[in-house]
Amino acid sequence: MKTAGANGAPVLEVRHIEKVYGTRNNATHALRDVSFTVEEGDFIGIMGASGSGKSTLLNCISTIDAVTSGTVLVHGTDVTRLKAKKLARFRREQLGFIFQDSNLLDTLTVRENIALPLTISRVPAHDVLIRVEEVARRLGIAETLEKYPYQLSGGQQQRVAAARALVTDPAIIMADEPTGALDSKNARLLLESLETMNERYRATVLMVTHDSFAASYTHRVLFIRDGRIFTELRRGDAPRQAFFERIMEVVAMMGGDGSDAL
Amino acid sequence: MLCKIAWGNVRRAGKDYLIYLLTLTLAVTVFYAFNTISIQVDLAGVSEQNSGMGDLLGGVISGLTVFLAVVMGFLMVYANNFIMKRRKKEFGLYQVLGMSRGQVARIMTLETLFVSLAALVLGIICGLALSQVMVFFTASIFKTQIADFHFFFSLEAFCTTVGCLAAIFVVTLIFNLRVVARAKVIDLMGAGRKNEIIRVRNPWLSAAIFIAGIAAIGVAYVRLLDQGLPYDGQPEGMRDFLITTVTVVVGTILMFYGLSGFLLKALQGVRGLYWRGLNMVTMRQLAAKVNTVSMSMAVIAMILFLAITSVTTGMSLADTMNNTVERGTPVDYTRCLVYWGPRSVAEMNSRKAYAEDDVVYAVATGPVDMMAAGKNDIMNPDTPEAKPFDLASIAGSYVQVDAFDSTPRDGDHPVVSLGDLCEAVDMPLPAGTENSDMTTLGLMVIDESTYNKYLRFRGMEPIELGENGYTITSDMGATVNDVYNKVLGEGIKLEIGGRALTPVQDRVPEDASTFQNAMMGMNSGTIVLPDDLVASLNLPLYYSYLMLNYADGVSVEEGDAYVAAPRTYSDVLNEAGESIAGWGTEASRTVTYESVDSMNGLISYLAIYIGFVLVLACAAILTIQQLSGVAEAGANYRILSELGTATDQIAHSVLAQQTIFFLFPLVVGIAHAMVALKVIIELVALFGGMSIGGTVGLTTLIFVVAYGGYFCVTYLMSRGMVHEATLARHAA
Repeated sequence: MKTAGANGAPVLEVRHIEKVYGTRNNATHALRDVSFTVEEGDFIGIMGASGSGKSTLLNCISTIDAVTSGTVLVHGTDVTRLKAKKLARFRREQLGFIFQDSNLLDTLTVRENIALPLTISRVPAHDVLIRVEEVARRLGIAETLEKYPYQLSGGQQQRVAAARALVTDPAIIMADEPTGALDSKNARLLLESLETMNERYRATVLMVTHDSFAASYTHRVLFIRDGRIFTELRRGDAPRQAFFERIMEVVAMMGGDGSDAL
Repeated sequence: MLCKIAWGNVRRAGKDYLIYLLTLTLAVTVFYAFNTISIQVDLAGVSEQNSGMGDLLGGVISGLTVFLAVVMGFLMVYANNFIMKRRKKEFGLYQVLGMSRGQVARIMTLETLFVSLAALVLGIICGLALSQVMVFFTASIFKTQIADFHFFFSLEAFCTTVGCLAAIFVVTLIFNLRVVARAKVIDLMGAGRKNEIIRVRNPWLSAAIFIAGIAAIGVAYVRLLDQGLPYDGQPEGMRDFLITTVTVVVGTILMFYGLSGFLLKALQGVRGLYWRGLNMVTMRQLAAKVNTVSMSMAVIAMILFLAITSVTTGMSLADTMNNTVERGTPVDYTRCLVYWGPRSVAEMNSRKAYAEDDVVYAVATGPVDMMAAGKNDIMNPDTPEAKPFDLASIAGSYVQVDAFDSTPRDGDHPVVSLGDLCEAVDMPLPAGTENSDMTTLGLMVIDESTYNKYLRFRGMEPIELGENGYTITSDMGATVNDVYNKVLGEGIKLEIGGRALTPVQDRVPEDASTFQNAMMGMNSGTIVLPDDLVASLNLPLYYSYLMLNYADGVSVEEGDAYVAAPRTYSDVLNEAGESIAGWGTEASRTVTYESVDSMNGLISYLAIYIGFVLVLACAAILTIQQLSGVAEAGANYRILSELGTATDQIAHSVLAQQTIFFLFPLVVGIAHAMVALKVIIELVALFGGMSIGGTVGLTTLIFVVAYGGYFCVTYLMSRGMVHEATLARHAA
């Protein structure tokens, strides 16, 4: 089902992107020459303090924001040059989003919320309902399908958002501070779900966070500071606890930013 | 300082205030313009033709102004609440920063004041322009020429407008101050974030309620069509009508209450449609919104119903009068004499015992010569020019028609009545006549030679009744004439005075049935019988009609002036000095035409005024509801955009929602109106066939412009808001 690049291109390739806000005289460089590659089945964390540019990076990759220069290739396609219509289609088919606040439509039931990306893509009703059922079961929210978002706990809402992100089988799942609004128990549950999605269903996940604990669930962490990639950590075969400590070291070295997050 | 903040707020919240400003400005414009009507009527030259029309119109309009002020006040409060809802957080912030409630209240007062003042200025400017244009409109409605057009400004209208606006201002202010005074800071601060709790109703229950509502409306329709309107004020009829009204109101409310659930269930039934594109989002948004505004939608539907009904009825009535006035004015001048009937004579004489009245009443034994009797009237009394009212001095050709009551002097029952005729042809009594005098009192009777005299006067062929012939005349509308035509057409034999009569004509001679000048038909049925039969029936006299054309040497103006001059009305006495009759209506052709024009003008004016204002108010409320809905759903649209929905698609969804919102109350209103109009037409058709056709054009135009205009503005503004919401980057 996965729309893997037949040409063998990586899922995501970010090449020298820059993002400048403001006018020429009063310019703010949010991103400076950022490059990295994500292979299929990766689980990548992007860490950085507030204002470091990590959210801008995510927005640029997900085409919500436009880059000033550089290219973003998804399965070899340059998404920075897509026109509005194609952009919407790209977002719909290639990306899945999980936000800090779950961003569910409050007027829709859980089932409808999860089904939304599929119905927008005009998937036949029969397939829609089967796929929603399946993904809900995977994330353990099958029994909440008829409820409305406001009837769910924050953790459940985030898992619904995760289900919505996964249901289209996207090339990349973009998670922007997904645990930001959750208590530690629910945060752990969500991260474990993401881990499961990644390990068992080979979903590629890109997670922006300033929480070292959340980052320790990933395989690889990019640290951003002042719009540049400051350093990169790979987990390898290390246990999560050890990876967490290595992350904490880097965070401390970067100036203690974000260490207050735990 | 507070002033500066307030001014800044108005400028910054310009978009929110725009709709408020727009509505208020429109209100002021309409307000001012319609309050200048008496001046317009002067300028348009209506008063020269018909003095008093301007005052009458002005009086009616200022009464309506109060009504308008109430409607607009309600609207303003509504629009204002919309703004307040969006700005609660800001007012909370001021308090957090240490401002006292009084200061916050003052900021708010100033804001409202700025906007109201702006609306006043803009509205008066637009109103000035509109009132100048309306002079031409007035002239065309009243069919007059504008003799001397000049720019005008009405201080009185201006003061009324300012007064009303001030009142509205105070009301909105009280509402706003209550919001600030009551709310806790924490609530104000949280207002932006706190998700509106969406009350989800059980869709099955809603669907059931919807069906129940439809059923109630259906029952009310059937009842109304079945029973008609209570035109005669009978308590039973009124009670039935009240029940019908309550049923339809309750039904409408229930229907809108259950609407969302029903739509949801209906669409969910079609899986392929529901789980497709944004359909389910559209439906859910609609459902959520309809739940909170179902009551106001029901009210809007009812108001639209009232507006459509009143406008259409009014305009059609005006149309009818226009169409019948030509047939209704066969001669230059008519006058009518009413004879006292046997029963009224007895009653009036018995009342004399305790009334200071020395007149003795009697039943006339023979017709009064109206030309001669008229000379007892004194023209220009108490002036040197006083002289007898001598119609012979202006008359060319003339004729007097004497008509008898169909109930004999010594009898209780009419020799022929509408009820009898209906029974004979097996037709129900026409709407509006069931309990009226027309049924029981019977037709009027005139003899053959009188009718032939009338026909010759009108330049028509006389008829030949022979020994046993009869015919029926009537210039009323189709409802009554259908019965007569059937009676004549089927050759129904009538048994009168021991003689079996057969009709000599196969339909009612509608053009030879008018005995007096009038806007609408006045002859509801007069049977023409052979002379000897009439004489043998011993019938009391009922009416005498004098129809007169001015002599060749007398111009219409001279003739009209003569009959219009002030004069006293004499008693009509027999040789014994007993009063046998009283003078009835008189009318010249010119006056009848003029009053038709004025009546048309009046009705058209009121219809347009009421219709326009009501539609405007409804549309404005819908607009405000929709815009606030879109603003609230802004986050949802952003999510949709991030999920990869094209802005166009979202806009389509919004359009679909708004179309339903605007269309549904309109459809319900039109459905109600159509049923009501059907009944009204039946009733009004009594006075000459009422046609809806010609007036629908103008009515529709008003609706399309006002309602459609608001719809377009709403959609365009919503699209802008959606666009903005989707452009904004999601807040971290």
